[in-house]
Amino acid sequence: MTIQSDPEKNETRTLFEMADFGGKRVLEVGCGDGRLTQLYADKVAAVTAIDPFAQAIHRAQLKLPEGLQDQIDFKHSSIDDFARVTEPAAFDLAILSWSL
Amino acid sequence: MAHEGMVHALKIIHRLLKTDGLLVDIHPIAEGYLIKAIQGETILFSEPKRETCSEDVIQAEKAISQVIEQGLFALDQRSEFDFLTYGSSVPELRAYLEEQSSFETDPVDDALDERVEGLYAQIEEIMQTSPADTQVAIHERAIMSLLRPVRE
Repeated sequence: MTIQSDPEKNETRTLFEMADFGGKRVLEVGCGDGRLTQLYADKVAAVTAIDPFAQAIHRAQLKLPEGLQDQIDFKHSSIDDFARVTEPAAFDLAILSWSL
Repeated sequence: MAHEGMVHALKIIHRLLKTDGLLVDIHPIAEGYLIKAIQGETILFSEPKRETCSEDVIQAEKAISQVIEQGLFALDQRSEFDFLTYGSSVPELRAYLEEQSSFETDPVDDALDERVEGLYAQIEEIMQTSPADTQVAIHERAIMSLLRPVRE
């Protein structure tokens, strides 16, 4: 057996009840290894997922299923650096996933 | 992340969101979390792994409250949920948790570490004498908040 995180899907059930993801441009801040990112990415227009730790982004890229490669852009970046090169009002939805 | 850094990050997110955008914040609640041994529907062991949450969780709550008070965001919804992570053995779960927390900056707490080692030892003992499908789990309670950016 491998590790199972939230097999009951409590987190995604709460997330999808709370917010409409359909066709949205999403920014995930502190995405870590992309565990949560993978669970909603197929519902949105595009995801930019950032994390200040290079090793976390490396893991996220390694774990990314082939079908989601065009959907998620994992970036090694702090939020400050990311904001410097990003237009204001660029996203419909932002997610702080266990990262604040 | 320090409190000021959290508020700063929330301000940046406010700027990056569209006028009708939304922010979802997910973080553990302040009561700490449980370590369990579970076999099917039966809980064989359940103890708090930490009696209290980390300082980061307290600061995150304060940062959210601060940006609401400052009028940057309005709270639309809040909902709590259970988040369990299961492993088939203590070493497997520990390796996973260590990988996940490898970037955390909480100071080392020797007394807590010693207590946690004791809990893991108790779980290993239980698992050795329990059916093969017994699992070790970390049970966290988390809170999800939906925040709407407020524009003047």
